[in-house]
Amino acid sequence: MTSSVVVCTWGEGRDGVPGESEEMLTLGRKVSDSLEVDLNWLVLGPLPDRAVEVAGSYGVASLDRVADTKLADFEPDALVEALAQYCAQQPTRVLLFGQSFDGRLIAPRLAGRLGAGVVMNGVDVDVGEDGRLQITASAYGGDTRVVYELCGVESCVVSVLANAVSPEPRAGEGPDPTLRDIQVDLGGVEERIRTIEAARTEGPRLEDAEIIVSGGRGLSAPADFELVEQLAKALGGMAGASRPLVDDGWVDSSRQVGLTGKITRPALYLAAGISGASQHMAGCSAAKTIVAINRDPDAAIFRYARYGIVGDCLEILPELIRAAKAR
Amino acid sequence: MRIVICAKEVLDPDAVNNYALAGRLEIGEDGKTLTQTAIPRLINAYDEQAIEAALRLRDAGADCTISVVSAGPDQASLLKHAAALGADEIAAIPVDPATVDYHSIAFLLAGYIRSSGGADLVLCGRQASDDDQGVVPALLGEALEIPIVSIARAVELVEGADGPAVRVTRVTPDGDELVEASCPVVVTISNELGEPRFPTTAKKIAARRMKPTIVSVDELSLPAEELQPRVAMTRQFVPTIQGNCEFLSGETPAELADRLIENLRKDNVLE
Repeated sequence: MTSSVVVCTWGEGRDGVPGESEEMLTLGRKVSDSLEVDLNWLVLGPLPDRAVEVAGSYGVASLDRVADTKLADFEPDALVEALAQYCAQQPTRVLLFGQSFDGRLIAPRLAGRLGAGVVMNGVDVDVGEDGRLQITASAYGGDTRVVYELCGVESCVVSVLANAVSPEPRAGEGPDPTLRDIQVDLGGVEERIRTIEAARTEGPRLEDAEIIVSGGRGLSAPADFELVEQLAKALGGMAGASRPLVDDGWVDSSRQVGLTGKITRPALYLAAGISGASQHMAGCSAAKTIVAINRDPDAAIFRYARYGIVGDCLEILPELIRAAKAR
Repeated sequence: MRIVICAKEVLDPDAVNNYALAGRLEIGEDGKTLTQTAIPRLINAYDEQAIEAALRLRDAGADCTISVVSAGPDQASLLKHAAALGADEIAAIPVDPATVDYHSIAFLLAGYIRSSGGADLVLCGRQASDDDQGVVPALLGEALEIPIVSIARAVELVEGADGPAVRVTRVTPDGDELVEASCPVVVTISNELGEPRFPTTAKKIAARRMKPTIVSVDELSLPAEELQPRVAMTRQFVPTIQGNCEFLSGETPAELADRLIENLRKDNVLE
């Protein structure tokens, strides 16, 4: 059996498929074409509403479903065991995940279990002339890109950063995917990590916000963050922050936008007093419109912004609040 | 109880970042290595916080030995810092970086832990600030066949139903979550844990007398496939960002603000 390229998703999405499905299928399609093997889509748990339709747009050969009561809450030991059993049954050359909070643990655990390679923060996967897999990943908080070549092992698990790939569906390509129910035995699985108090989202999530106003080191004191919150409110959005403000205790970590914080994709991202370090931009570069306010005309943030104001955010923010409130 | 912290030395990420922000980060002729030789190396900040997590457990009354292990070409300075922070034992696994990758490092660390008497709790930083991969703790946990609790802001030792256990507050996208897992267990520490302590002068002086245990790769007797790297870094480059910023002009902050709101309304970004 030749090894296929497999995109793996679980959970619901907002558009009838889990978020990043189409992005992963786009990348999967590219790699499977290069390797001249099948592209399969592995769905853990219930089949999303539009899975069959979306699978068709990407030339998915087989839409594989693994369902089990132990997967109900997508807990790690069950997920890893189900995935390991799937890979034992279905030889897999490349397994692609859209990078997620849970995936950060599942991907390397699975690679360890399978004896496969793993690369996180992936932005691209290519096949070299010698047939070797080359995975490009982000490093130094996004300041550099690194290319890893797979060696010594045949298979690789790759976790791909959100926003690294743009969806490229192909209309009316080939036959509909075969639907397969793959059996796994999770009888021996007992979650070794027990939840004592579940996380409770209080209110809307920054990841879902359409408008975000974010503050950084350009603010001179914790009280200045009030201005960021007021502007966010006046614009009907949410307030975010760069990591230094969180580390210094000015704001709660739930506000942290960045590579190790929230990855946001709002229609508008207004960055006040933020330098534009890669670690931060990883959390907001997918915004449709980025506005930057910074005292330094050479600040890196201006390379990402649509509109820039060179000035002191402590002077500009109050005026923006006024202008935003005016009708 | 034995707590083992796995620590890595990295290029100072703030220095790398400053070069990047100034547009001066460069890759050398080998196509892989950053050219700036002046950038200092220091302990990965998340790993330093992992040591802090262990020290807080000891401060809270845990009867434990704290061991810090590091694999790399020259770990003396990092381990001296670990000793000065309060480690009871420091160990170095000398390796040539060109011969290892994060997979083999994870196996080396697992081998060290097994051969040095095991660990009840393994603490690691959530990721290294150079490669950002964050996979070693999970690979280590799988190699030792123990659970991995990731992204912790707080760790507490408790008596569980089956013996010692950890209660960990994890920072999740949906807020804090409290979980429990029986020892032995790997826990990864995130920046939300807070500021690590500074070593005192007295501790620094005492640390000078602590010698690291040198653990050779050979003495760990790992199977060849564990020592074999699974990935090779073939290239590193600095991505270019195309700028297309329209700088707004205005005589006063009020004008600038009005201009911005006008533009955003015109673009239908704002109503």
